[in-house]
Amino acid sequence: MRRKTLLYGLLCVLCVPFVFPTWWMATSSLKPVSEIFAFPPTPWPGRPTLEAYRQVFALQPFALQYWNSLYIALVVTVGTLAVSALAGYAFARIRFRGSNVLFVIVLTGLLIPSEVTIVPLFQLFHGWGLTDTHWPLVLVPVLGAPSVLATFIMRQFFLVLPHELEEAAAVDGLGRLATFRRIALPLARPALGAVAIFTFLHSWNLYLEPIVFLSSPEKFTLPQALTQFVDAYGGPMWNVQLAAASLTALPVLVVFVLAQKQFVEGLAHTGLKG
Amino acid sequence: MALSVARRARTVSRAGWWTGRRRDHLLGYLFVAPQLAGSLLFVFLPLALVLTYSLNEWNVLADTFSFVGADNYRRLLSDPNVPSVLMATGLFSAGLVVLNLSLALLLAVLLNQRLRGTTVFRTLFFSPVVVSLVAWTIVWGFLLQDNGGVNAILRIAGVEGPNWLRTGSWATLSVIVVQVFKNVGLNMVLFLAALQGVPKELFEAARLDGASAWTRFRRITLPMISPTVLLTSIITVAGSLQVFAQIAVLTQGGPGTSTTVLVYYLYQQAFQFHHFGYGATLSVLLFVIVLALTLLQWRMRRRWVFHEA
Amino acid sequence: MRIKVTALGLAGALALAACGSSAEPQDGPVSLRMTIWTGNEAHLKLFDDIAAEYNKTHPKVSVKYDTLPVETYTTTLTTQIAGGNAPDLAWIFENAAPDFVSSGALAPLGNLVKPEEFVPSTTKLWQKDGTLYAYPFSTSPFGVFVNTDLLKKAGQSVPAKGWTWEEAVKIASAVQQKTGKAGLVVRDFDYKGWDNLASVWGGWGAEAWSEDGRTCGFDKPEMIEAMGFLHKAIFTDKAMPAPGTTADFFAGEAAMTITQISRASLLKDGAFAWDLVTLPTGPKGAYSVIGQAGVGVLKKSRNAQAAADFLAFFTNPANSAKLAQYFPPPRQPLLTADSLARSNPLLKPDQLQDVVVDGIAAGRVKPSHAGQAEIGQAVRAELDKLWQPDADVATVMKGVCAAIQPMLAP
Repeated sequence: MRRKTLLYGLLCVLCVPFVFPTWWMATSSLKPVSEIFAFPPTPWPGRPTLEAYRQVFALQPFALQYWNSLYIALVVTVGTLAVSALAGYAFARIRFRGSNVLFVIVLTGLLIPSEVTIVPLFQLFHGWGLTDTHWPLVLVPVLGAPSVLATFIMRQFFLVLPHELEEAAAVDGLGRLATFRRIALPLARPALGAVAIFTFLHSWNLYLEPIVFLSSPEKFTLPQALTQFVDAYGGPMWNVQLAAASLTALPVLVVFVLAQKQFVEGLAHTGLKG
Repeated sequence: MALSVARRARTVSRAGWWTGRRRDHLLGYLFVAPQLAGSLLFVFLPLALVLTYSLNEWNVLADTFSFVGADNYRRLLSDPNVPSVLMATGLFSAGLVVLNLSLALLLAVLLNQRLRGTTVFRTLFFSPVVVSLVAWTIVWGFLLQDNGGVNAILRIAGVEGPNWLRTGSWATLSVIVVQVFKNVGLNMVLFLAALQGVPKELFEAARLDGASAWTRFRRITLPMISPTVLLTSIITVAGSLQVFAQIAVLTQGGPGTSTTVLVYYLYQQAFQFHHFGYGATLSVLLFVIVLALTLLQWRMRRRWVFHEA
Repeated sequence: MRIKVTALGLAGALALAACGSSAEPQDGPVSLRMTIWTGNEAHLKLFDDIAAEYNKTHPKVSVKYDTLPVETYTTTLTTQIAGGNAPDLAWIFENAAPDFVSSGALAPLGNLVKPEEFVPSTTKLWQKDGTLYAYPFSTSPFGVFVNTDLLKKAGQSVPAKGWTWEEAVKIASAVQQKTGKAGLVVRDFDYKGWDNLASVWGGWGAEAWSEDGRTCGFDKPEMIEAMGFLHKAIFTDKAMPAPGTTADFFAGEAAMTITQISRASLLKDGAFAWDLVTLPTGPKGAYSVIGQAGVGVLKKSRNAQAAADFLAFFTNPANSAKLAQYFPPPRQPLLTADSLARSNPLLKPDQLQDVVVDGIAAGRVKPSHAGQAEIGQAVRAELDKLWQPDADVATVMKGVCAAIQPMLAP
């Protein structure tokens, strides 16, 4: 019993630096501008107002931008899950010539900051006539450097599956494809959940690429839309930006709560025990 | 190479002899083909272009692009800022990786206990990940002021805190800690997923053998999740090399140049100072470092990653 | 090996394709793109109205305004230019002006309407060899906003035109001592944006660099004196918030702030009583400083001719008058307290006369230089040594010059 109390206490203390800024963001979106930067910060708005939330939708085609971000993130997540599950499985479980070399080559892509490749990528997509479209925001994450992370995660998880699985599958007369689809993939649910969270989040928060590639407000994504809430002289409208930021954070928390089921309940549901 | 092999394999397959190992080879190539093609097109082709930029003086505004050979590389060797930038980068990455991984593992272990309300705590620890980076950095900028929240708390404990963002080494630490709190949730998630994969039976057996909690953690848990340790350490190194907005907002590379890390310096040279050619040269340097680090971690994995041996 | 060769060939082909597409002449409908940094509804509506009116006489031409985030505006613009997607027209910050003007990125503007109306101090930054390359649509002088509530609380009288820096520091430190709020804040300085300090050292006749931009001015006696004054105001008199502490005037956290008058819009909530006065005078008397923004035509534009024609329309006297409700104009006839009062209801006529009209006429533009970003970064890094209580001002200032002199005159 004492151990439990101690654990709860520890968790509560650890929570503070994580929760306070989020709390500030959410409550500040309900404050008038002058109160946001009052020092010391007020824990709760003196006179709460939803005005900022009204302005979010009045100043920008925010609902449309929300949809843009959402559908791009979903397409990217599904695409990345497919690409990375295949590649990760192959790199972890199939012995083929050059697999290690190929994997290290792919892996280096993970460590290249997007600032390094943004200009040549822009040149490529401009040459193909795909600037100011959503294509670069889908193609690059699904096939390029960001999906390498996903492949890496998948590989590391497939690596720990016991080898008896494939032997058993072979005994049952399952081919490689069927083993992958019916056995390995269901077992990888925790990893797929983690990949889904990472990928969705990455696409959802993508900032540099949309700014460089998109120029029509109706094609903007959310992080880009956030920067558009500025006053007459380029100064940020903080309350509106924070309201938009709060609205932006919400779906990702929902995705997290849903996806964490996948990896927390983990193996219990995969039938491994039965 | 992979593509041509895959193509050849496909034509041969019609002959119908593909069984066993050959078929496995082919499937392997097919499975990794999308990833590989994407990497070539969206990672290595741009990198090749960056390499060509680095051999040129490219003034974007004047629209001049002229071949200068190794000039940019000579400049790299004589640039008085480069040693301090590399130093700052090393310090920053090392600090970030150590802090991030140990905190992530601690949180994951705490939250992997059979405890009511862990879902709530999990979500709380994860929540900074979804908060807008700008909002996050601004709040911390506030808290880390000389007369800010952190020092107020320290004063209650009777400690006079430093001027966090205006003193050399404290500024580096501050940026690291702000970044760790923001993103540790991601690694926590990975560790949690990995901990879930450790078979309970192993613990039971160890417990029956009378192993202590610490021994169980060190002898069973750590080896079992070592692939994830490799994973998280590589992606944290990658992340540490890309920290940019936080530095721009919190310190702008200062005080002095103490928080000017390589990617920030590169960004300054290419995009703010309009030295695209030199910026590309710094990119090549970054790439070489990244390559070396990846190879190093990769070579070392057999030593300490259980499943790779 | 084969792949590598193919990839390089492909890269070359793509690079060629990207370059080639920017040079085709265009017939038929023309769509112009102007990059801007405001996302303000009212601004965009005004711009769209101007474009719609232009469209009446030029049915083939349409104009699209492309808002880029303000903090990364210049870098995003540069990225677009580098990628082969330069806009036709672009807003330009004053600190990027020398780079854009001197590099030849902009097309000369020989066709603007009634250029004789321009106030000379406003066009200096935007021309090369007597030719104008961008129109300074926004010319915003620096003034001092005063929180009169706070001053009263501290028993200080509200300053008026002709006040001195000594008085300013005295008031500021009195407010700090009696109310605990900050005294005087140089807005957007925050111990990083040092070019805003021009609004202080102007009173000593100091300059960041000489008129021709080739000699460092930081180690000149007047600059050392000005910075010494500032250092004492910060660390001894506590008249300004120390490094690592910020205070927002517009949230009521400071007694006074030096900033551009366009920030008056932040005061419309009316949480406290305020006044706007001219910058205090220094040992060298009165002075004023202006911040600017210009708009120019990119030489790379496929429709440079059409873009220049639209710009002439966008900035003609009639449209300048409309723009003046948000951006202080560079045209003499529009720069009267009366005409400005109509569009700036928050400011009183004598405030407009003293700070805006007189300020623009006499104003020096904030320091700017080709390669400003790089120089600015070097100055920032060196000045960090000054922001310590025990710093030796003269030594630090010599260090600043040692760092930037090679960049000023290579």
